[in-house]
Amino acid sequence: MKTCIACGMPMKNTSDFAMSDESKDYCVYCARPDGTMQSFDEKKENMTDFIIKTQGLAREAAESAALSMMKKLPHWKNHFD
Amino acid sequence: MTEKRQLQKAQTRERIIAAALKVYSEQGFSAPTAAIADEANVSHGSIFVHFPTVESLWLCLLENFSQDINAEFNSLSEYGNDIERLLERHIDVLIKHEDFYKRLVKEAVYLPEEEKNTFIAIQSMVSIHLLQALEREISRKVVKNVPPHMLFNTWLGLIHYYLLNGDLFAPQDSVLKRYKSALIECFLSLIKQ
Ligand SMILES: [Zn+2]
Repeated sequence: MKTCIACGMPMKNTSDFAMSDESKDYCVYCARPDGTMQSFDEKKENMTDFIIKTQGLAREAAESAALSMMKKLPHWKNHFD
Repeated sequence: MTEKRQLQKAQTRERIIAAALKVYSEQGFSAPTAAIADEANVSHGSIFVHFPTVESLWLCLLENFSQDINAEFNSLSEYGNDIERLLERHIDVLIKHEDFYKRLVKEAVYLPEEEKNTFIAIQSMVSIHLLQALEREISRKVVKNVPPHMLFNTWLGLIHYYLLNGDLFAPQDSVLKRYKSALIECFLSLIKQ
Protein backbone atom coordinates (compact mmCIF):
# COMPACT_ATOMS: atom_id res chain seq x y z
CA MET A 1 0.00 0.00 0.00
CA LYS A 2 1.24 3.47 -0.91
CA THR A 3 1.47 6.14 1.77
CA CYS A 4 1.28 9.85 1.10
CA ILE A 5 4.76 11.41 0.93
CA ALA A 6 3.49 14.69 2.39
CA CYS A 7 1.50 13.50 5.41
CA GLY A 8 2.14 9.77 5.78
CA MET A 9 -1.48 8.74 5.38
CA PRO A 10 -1.96 5.25 3.90
CA MET A 11 -3.81 5.48 0.58
CA LYS A 12 -6.14 2.48 0.40
CA ASN A 13 -8.78 3.57 -2.08
CA THR A 14 -8.56 5.44 -5.35
CA SER A 15 -10.44 8.29 -3.70
CA ASP A 16 -7.60 8.68 -1.18
CA PHE A 17 -5.23 9.80 -3.95
CA ALA A 18 -4.95 13.38 -5.17
CA MET A 19 -7.40 13.82 -8.07
CA SER A 20 -8.28 10.12 -7.55
CA ASP A 21 -5.14 9.42 -9.57
CA GLU A 22 -3.27 6.36 -8.27
CA SER A 23 -0.08 7.42 -9.99
CA LYS A 24 0.16 10.40 -7.61
CA ASP A 25 2.29 9.94 -4.51
CA TYR A 26 0.36 12.36 -2.33
CA CYS A 27 -3.15 12.15 -0.97
CA VAL A 28 -6.36 14.05 -1.53
CA TYR A 29 -5.81 16.05 1.70
CA CYS A 30 -2.38 17.23 0.58
CA ALA A 31 -3.58 18.46 -2.81
CA ARG A 32 -4.65 21.98 -3.70
CA PRO A 33 -7.96 22.41 -5.53
CA ASP A 34 -6.02 22.32 -8.84
CA GLY A 35 -4.42 18.98 -7.89
CA THR A 36 -0.87 20.21 -7.24
CA MET A 37 0.71 19.46 -3.91
CA GLN A 38 0.51 21.90 -1.04
CA SER A 39 3.63 23.81 0.02
CA PHE A 40 5.36 23.25 3.34
CA ASP A 41 3.58 26.20 4.94
CA GLU A 42 0.20 25.23 3.54
CA LYS A 43 0.62 21.68 4.81
CA LYS A 44 1.72 22.86 8.23
CA GLU A 45 -1.36 25.12 8.51
CA ASN A 46 -3.59 22.39 7.27
CA MET A 47 -2.26 19.77 9.71
CA THR A 48 -2.43 22.23 12.58
CA ASP A 49 -6.05 23.03 11.76
CA PHE A 50 -6.82 19.33 11.54
CA ILE A 51 -5.40 18.63 14.99
CA ILE A 52 -7.35 21.54 16.43
CA LYS A 53 -10.53 20.33 14.81
CA THR A 54 -10.17 16.73 15.93
CA GLN A 55 -8.47 17.04 19.32
CA GLY A 56 -9.29 20.62 20.31
CA LEU A 57 -5.68 21.50 21.18
CA ALA A 58 -4.41 25.06 21.58
CA ARG A 59 -2.87 26.37 18.35
CA GLU A 60 0.72 26.39 19.71
CA ALA A 61 0.48 22.77 20.85
CA ALA A 62 -1.19 21.67 17.63
CA GLU A 63 1.43 23.42 15.50
CA SER A 64 4.28 21.84 17.42
CA ALA A 65 2.70 18.42 16.89
CA ALA A 66 2.16 19.12 13.18
CA LEU A 67 5.83 20.05 12.75
CA SER A 68 6.91 16.86 14.56
CA MET A 69 4.80 14.78 12.20
CA MET A 70 6.22 16.51 9.13
CA LYS A 71 9.75 16.14 10.43
CA LYS A 72 9.43 12.37 10.19
CA LEU A 73 8.62 12.45 6.48
CA PRO A 74 11.60 12.40 4.10
CA HIS A 75 9.72 14.68 1.72
CA TRP A 76 10.03 17.70 4.07
CA LYS A 77 13.52 16.90 5.26
CA ASN A 78 15.24 19.98 3.86
CA HIS A 79 12.84 22.25 5.77
CA PHE A 80 14.31 21.08 9.05
CA ASP A 81 18.05 21.28 8.47
CA MET B 1 29.77 -8.05 10.15
CA THR B 2 28.97 -11.72 9.74
CA GLU B 3 25.39 -12.79 9.32
CA LYS B 4 25.41 -14.50 12.66
CA ARG B 5 26.57 -11.40 14.48
CA GLN B 6 24.00 -9.29 12.69
CA LEU B 7 21.30 -11.69 13.77
CA GLN B 8 22.56 -11.60 17.35
CA LYS B 9 22.55 -7.84 17.29
CA ALA B 10 18.97 -7.73 16.06
CA GLN B 11 17.92 -10.20 18.74
CA THR B 12 19.57 -8.13 21.46
CA ARG B 13 17.73 -5.07 20.19
CA GLU B 14 14.42 -6.92 20.35
CA ARG B 15 15.19 -8.12 23.87
CA ILE B 16 15.94 -4.56 24.97
CA ILE B 17 12.72 -3.28 23.43
CA ALA B 18 10.63 -5.98 25.12
CA ALA B 19 12.34 -5.37 28.45
CA ALA B 20 11.94 -1.60 28.19
CA LEU B 21 8.26 -2.01 27.44
CA LYS B 22 7.81 -4.11 30.56
CA VAL B 23 9.93 -1.98 32.87
CA TYR B 24 8.46 1.36 31.74
CA SER B 25 4.92 0.00 31.92
CA GLU B 26 5.50 -1.21 35.47
CA GLN B 27 7.72 1.53 36.86
CA GLY B 28 7.16 4.57 34.68
CA PHE B 29 9.35 6.31 32.11
CA SER B 30 11.82 7.47 34.73
CA ALA B 31 12.86 3.86 35.48
CA PRO B 32 16.65 3.48 35.29
CA THR B 33 18.18 1.89 32.19
CA ALA B 34 20.01 -0.50 34.54
CA ALA B 35 16.62 -2.05 35.35
CA ILE B 36 16.03 -2.57 31.64
CA ALA B 37 19.46 -4.15 31.18
CA ASP B 38 18.68 -6.53 34.07
CA GLU B 39 15.30 -7.46 32.66
CA ALA B 40 16.78 -8.00 29.18
CA ASN B 41 19.75 -9.84 30.62
CA VAL B 42 22.23 -7.71 28.65
CA SER B 43 25.07 -5.50 29.80
CA HIS B 44 24.17 -1.93 30.66
CA GLY B 45 26.44 -0.60 27.91
CA SER B 46 24.74 -2.63 25.20
CA ILE B 47 21.55 -0.63 25.67
CA PHE B 48 23.39 2.49 24.55
CA VAL B 49 24.85 0.72 21.54
CA HIS B 50 21.29 0.31 20.29
CA PHE B 51 19.75 3.42 21.83
CA PRO B 52 22.23 6.26 22.31
CA THR B 53 19.74 8.15 24.49
CA VAL B 54 16.84 7.20 26.72
CA GLU B 55 14.65 9.43 24.57
CA SER B 56 15.47 7.35 21.50
CA LEU B 57 14.30 4.26 23.38
CA TRP B 58 11.05 5.97 24.42
CA LEU B 59 10.48 7.08 20.83
CA CYS B 60 11.06 3.58 19.52
CA LEU B 61 8.38 2.18 21.85
CA LEU B 62 5.98 4.93 20.85
CA GLU B 63 6.62 4.29 17.15
CA ASN B 64 5.98 0.57 17.59
CA PHE B 65 2.72 1.31 19.37
CA SER B 66 1.77 3.79 16.66
CA GLN B 67 2.42 1.28 13.87
CA ASP B 68 0.33 -1.34 15.60
CA ILE B 69 -2.64 0.98 16.04
CA ASN B 70 -2.35 2.07 12.44
CA ALA B 71 -2.22 -1.51 11.21
CA GLU B 72 -5.29 -2.45 13.28
CA PHE B 73 -7.40 0.35 11.85
CA ASN B 74 -6.15 -0.07 8.31
CA SER B 75 -7.00 -3.73 8.32
CA LEU B 76 -10.67 -2.89 8.84
CA SER B 77 -12.59 -3.41 5.65
CA GLU B 78 -14.88 -0.85 4.11
CA TYR B 79 -17.65 -2.23 6.29
CA GLY B 80 -15.64 -1.20 9.30
CA ASN B 81 -17.21 2.22 9.01
CA ASP B 82 -19.70 1.12 11.61
CA ILE B 83 -19.06 3.26 14.72
CA GLU B 84 -19.57 0.48 17.19
CA ARG B 85 -17.04 -1.71 15.42
CA LEU B 86 -14.52 1.12 15.27
CA LEU B 87 -14.86 1.74 18.99
CA GLU B 88 -14.45 -1.98 19.63
CA ARG B 89 -11.36 -2.04 17.47
CA HIS B 90 -9.95 0.92 19.34
CA ILE B 91 -10.42 -0.69 22.74
CA ASP B 92 -9.10 -4.03 21.45
CA VAL B 93 -5.83 -2.50 20.33
CA LEU B 94 -5.52 -0.62 23.62
CA ILE B 95 -6.09 -3.88 25.52
CA LYS B 96 -3.07 -5.30 23.69
CA HIS B 97 -0.97 -2.43 25.03
CA GLU B 98 -2.96 -1.68 28.17
CA ASP B 99 -0.15 -1.23 30.71
CA PHE B 100 1.98 0.82 28.35
CA TYR B 101 -0.93 3.01 27.27
CA LYS B 102 -1.98 3.61 30.86
CA ARG B 103 1.54 4.70 31.69
CA LEU B 104 1.56 6.98 28.67
CA VAL B 105 -1.70 8.64 29.68
CA LYS B 106 -0.40 9.07 33.21
CA GLU B 107 2.99 10.49 32.32
CA ALA B 108 2.59 12.16 28.92
CA VAL B 109 2.58 15.55 30.56
CA TYR B 110 6.13 14.94 31.85
CA LEU B 111 7.55 13.62 28.57
CA PRO B 112 9.74 15.77 26.32
CA GLU B 113 8.05 17.59 23.45
CA GLU B 114 9.05 15.10 20.76
CA GLU B 115 7.52 12.16 22.66
CA LYS B 116 4.47 14.16 23.59
CA ASN B 117 3.99 15.07 19.94
CA THR B 118 4.29 11.45 18.91
CA PHE B 119 1.49 10.65 21.35
CA ILE B 120 -0.62 13.43 19.81
CA ALA B 121 0.13 11.97 16.37
CA ILE B 122 -1.10 8.57 17.55
CA GLN B 123 -4.36 10.07 18.82
CA SER B 124 -4.64 11.99 15.58
CA MET B 125 -4.56 8.76 13.64
CA VAL B 126 -7.27 7.26 15.84
CA SER B 127 -9.36 10.40 15.48
CA ILE B 128 -9.26 10.22 11.68
CA HIS B 129 -10.87 6.80 11.73
CA LEU B 130 -13.46 7.52 14.41
CA LEU B 131 -14.43 10.99 13.23
CA GLN B 132 -14.91 10.00 9.59
CA ALA B 133 -17.60 7.62 10.72
CA LEU B 134 -19.01 9.98 13.36
CA GLU B 135 -19.28 12.89 10.94
CA ARG B 136 -21.20 10.79 8.48
CA GLU B 137 -23.61 9.81 11.22
CA ILE B 138 -23.95 13.46 12.23
CA SER B 139 -24.93 14.36 8.68
CA ARG B 140 -27.47 11.53 8.75
CA LYS B 141 -28.77 12.94 12.05
CA VAL B 142 -28.04 9.69 13.87
CA VAL B 143 -25.40 11.31 16.05
CA LYS B 144 -25.90 14.65 17.81
CA ASN B 145 -24.25 17.66 16.28
CA VAL B 146 -21.39 18.00 18.77
CA PRO B 147 -18.02 19.49 17.68
CA PRO B 148 -15.73 16.64 16.53
CA HIS B 149 -13.02 17.26 19.11
CA MET B 150 -15.60 17.11 21.90
CA LEU B 151 -16.90 13.78 20.64
CA PHE B 152 -13.38 12.42 20.45
CA ASN B 153 -12.27 13.85 23.80
CA THR B 154 -15.39 12.54 25.51
CA TRP B 155 -14.57 9.07 24.26
CA LEU B 156 -10.91 9.31 25.31
CA GLY B 157 -11.96 10.86 28.62
CA LEU B 158 -14.12 7.85 29.45
CA ILE B 159 -11.40 5.37 28.57
CA HIS B 160 -8.68 7.28 30.39
CA TYR B 161 -10.74 7.70 33.56
CA TYR B 162 -11.35 3.98 33.81
CA LEU B 163 -7.74 3.18 32.97
CA LEU B 164 -6.29 5.55 35.54
CA ASN B 165 -8.60 4.19 38.22
CA GLY B 166 -8.21 0.56 37.23
CA ASP B 167 -7.40 -0.38 40.82
CA LEU B 168 -10.94 0.68 41.79
CA PHE B 169 -12.86 -0.60 38.77
CA ALA B 170 -11.05 -3.85 38.08
CA PRO B 171 -8.42 -4.75 40.68
CA GLN B 172 -5.87 -7.28 39.34
CA ASP B 173 -7.66 -7.36 36.02
CA SER B 174 -7.80 -5.59 32.66
CA VAL B 175 -10.18 -2.69 33.20
CA LEU B 176 -10.63 -2.28 29.45
CA LYS B 177 -11.59 -5.90 29.00
CA ARG B 178 -14.06 -5.72 31.84
CA TYR B 179 -15.65 -2.42 30.79
CA LYS B 180 -15.32 -2.61 27.02
CA SER B 181 -18.98 -3.10 26.22
CA ALA B 182 -20.20 -0.85 29.04
CA LEU B 183 -18.03 2.03 27.81
CA ILE B 184 -19.07 1.59 24.20
CA GLU B 185 -22.75 1.32 25.08
CA CYS B 186 -22.58 4.38 27.31
CA PHE B 187 -20.75 6.49 24.73
CA LEU B 188 -23.14 5.52 21.95
CA SER B 189 -26.21 6.32 24.01
CA LEU B 190 -24.73 9.70 24.97
CA ILE B 191 -24.01 10.76 21.40
CA LYS B 192 -27.02 9.39 19.57
CA GLN B 193 -29.97 11.65 18.88
ZN1 LIG C 1 -1.25 13.50 2.44
